[in-house]
Amino acid sequence: MPPVIDYEKCTGCGTCDALCPADAIYMKGSEKPLTPYLKYPEECWHCGSCRQDCPEEAITIVFPPDMLSI
Amino acid sequence: MEIHELSTDVLIVGGGLAGTNAAMGAAERGAGVVVSDKGKIERSGDIGGGVDHFMAFLNEGAAWDTQEAFLGYVEKVGRGTGHPKIIESVYCAELNDAIERMARIGNPLTRTDGTFYRTRSMGQPGTYWINFNGKRLKPCLGKAVRKLGCTVLDKVMMVDLLTRDGAVVGGIGFHIRTGDFYVIQAKATVISTGNTNRLYENPRINPFNTWLCPFDTGDGQVMAFKAGAALSNMEYMRMTLLPKGFAAPGFNALVGMGGRFLNGPGEYFMEKKHPMGNKAPRYDVVFHTLEEIRNGRGPIYIDCRHVQEEDLAHLKTTLGYDKDTLPDYFEQRGEDLKKKPVEITVSEGMQAGPTEFTGSGIKIDTESAATVPGLFACGDASDHNRCVHGAVTGGYKAGKSAAAYALDLKTGDKASHAVTREQIDRFMAPLNRTAGYPYRQIEDAVRKIMAEHVGVMRTENGIKSGLRKLARLEQYLEDMKADDLHELMRTHETRSLMLVGKMMGNAALFRTESRNKPYHHRLDFPDTNDADWCGLVVLEKKGAEIGCSFDPITYGPR
Repeated sequence: MPPVIDYEKCTGCGTCDALCPADAIYMKGSEKPLTPYLKYPEECWHCGSCRQDCPEEAITIVFPPDMLSI
Repeated sequence: MEIHELSTDVLIVGGGLAGTNAAMGAAERGAGVVVSDKGKIERSGDIGGGVDHFMAFLNEGAAWDTQEAFLGYVEKVGRGTGHPKIIESVYCAELNDAIERMARIGNPLTRTDGTFYRTRSMGQPGTYWINFNGKRLKPCLGKAVRKLGCTVLDKVMMVDLLTRDGAVVGGIGFHIRTGDFYVIQAKATVISTGNTNRLYENPRINPFNTWLCPFDTGDGQVMAFKAGAALSNMEYMRMTLLPKGFAAPGFNALVGMGGRFLNGPGEYFMEKKHPMGNKAPRYDVVFHTLEEIRNGRGPIYIDCRHVQEEDLAHLKTTLGYDKDTLPDYFEQRGEDLKKKPVEITVSEGMQAGPTEFTGSGIKIDTESAATVPGLFACGDASDHNRCVHGAVTGGYKAGKSAAAYALDLKTGDKASHAVTREQIDRFMAPLNRTAGYPYRQIEDAVRKIMAEHVGVMRTENGIKSGLRKLARLEQYLEDMKADDLHELMRTHETRSLMLVGKMMGNAALFRTESRNKPYHHRLDFPDTNDADWCGLVVLEKKGAEIGCSFDPITYGPR
C-alpha cells in the first residue's frame, strides 16, 4: 500500500481524496475533520499525486514487498 | 440519485492531457464546453503525476530538425501506420502553438535560460525529444480550463454516447461518488479517454501496475464504435521496457542519456542486433529483448554506469519528473544507476499506437473528425495522435474543430434527446444484483485470453480460439455485480476491455502479415508485406459483428 499517511501531520483537508485518479482514497469519520484512508490499496498506480499536493507533507510512498522483490 | 440535464456546444469525454487541451481549443474559439473525467482533471490521466518528454522538430538549424526530415522519420519508423497528411495537420501544423501554449499556462518546455534540453532515442535521426519538468503540467492545465469558464465534471464516468439521425449529440454518465446521473446534450463531442490498459496479463502480478494509466480502459473507443465510428490500428499491442517490479516510464530518458541494454551473459546485445543500437525504434528494442529472453540470455538490464556525472544527475532528475515515485522505488529496492545495471523487463501489452507518432483507436481525418458527424477524437484514443506531443497538439486541434462544427450548426439544430429512466437503470444494474461475479473475476479472464491468444505470438488458429473464448466469457458480463459505485465504475471498465479485446483480435486476424514486430507479430505471416499491407486495418460495426476493411497509405517521392 504505497501512500502511507502520517496522521500526526494530516489535517483532514481531503486533497488526497479529491485528487487520487484511482478513486482509492476515501474519507471516514462522523465529524470534521474527517480522516483519509486507502480504501483500494491494490489499485494505487503510484503516480505520487497525493504526496505532491498534500499541503501538510503527510504522505510517504512505501512500496510493497512484491514490487521490491520480483 | 438525481438526474442532471446539461446542454452545451462541445462535450469532452476524458480530461487528461488531450482532453484539457481540447477544452482549451474549443473554449478559446468561443464554444461552451463541458469536460468530464473519472478523476479530477488537475491530476487525472497518463501524466497526472508528471511527465518529462515531448517530441518536436524545432528548426534550430540541423538538417534533421525540419518538418520535412521529421516526416521522413515518420515514414521510416511508422510505415503503413499513419497518413502523413493527417500527421502534418494534427501534429506538425499545431506544434508551434502547442509549445507557446505550454509556456503560457505556466509549464514551459524550456529550461530557465530559455533553451530546450534535447535528447535522441527510438530511431530518431536527431534529438527530437525535449526533456522538461512537467510535474505541474496537469494542475496548470486544470487551472487554465476552469479559468476559461468550462464546466468541469470531475469524477463522472461517461458510459454511452447519444445519437440522433446518425450523428453524435452528447453523452451520458454517472458520478462515481454520488451516483447522480448526467445527461449531456452537445452539438459536438470529443473523445479523449486514452488508450486501453489492464487488457493483458501483467508480468508484475498486479494488473494495476501498468506503464500507462490503468484507469484508461478504452471506454471512449468502445462508445465511439457503438455509435458507428470507424477505428483503426487496433491490432497493435504496444509494449515497452520497464524496471522489473515497477511499471514506471523512463525508457526514453534512460536511452536518451546513453543507457545501454545488457543481457545476462554480459553482452550489449542491441549494439550487435541493430544498426542504431540502443537508440533503435522502441518496437525493435522490445523485439530483440524478447528474443534474448527466449534464447536463454536473460535477465535483461539497462546499464548507465558509464554515464558522466552531469548527465547522470540530469537522468535521475528527469526520471523523477516522468514518474514522481521512481526515485523512491530505486532507493527502497537498493538500485543505484551509477553502481550497477538495473534489471528491466518487457511490459504488459496494451492497446496503443505502434509508434510515438501514430496511434490506435478512433479513426480521424485531418480535422480530427471521426467518421460519424458530431464526433471528434484526440490523444491516445485516436489513430493519429500518440504520446505527450500528440495529446497536446492533437487535443487542441480536436477542440478547435469541434467548436467550429458546433458553432456552425444552426440554432434549430439544437440537440435534444430524451433518455429514459429505464436506460439509466440499465447502466446502474450491477449495483442492484445481490448475486453475481465481481468485475475482477471476468477481467482476469480477459487478460489471460488476450495474453495467450492475441499477444506476442499470434497465429490464425490461436486468435480464432481467443475470440471464441472471449465470446464465451462475454455472456457473463450481464452477471457482474457491484457492491458500490466504485465497483460499478470498474464493471463498466471491464465491459470496455472485453470489446477492445475483441476488436484487437479481429484486426490481428485480418492483417495477414507482421508489422512493427512484436506489436503485430503473426508467426504464420512473419514478414512485413508492404505490397499488400501498407496501410490501416479499419474496424466498423456491422450489426452485431466487427467488420474489417483496409485503408492503403501511399508515400510521395522523398
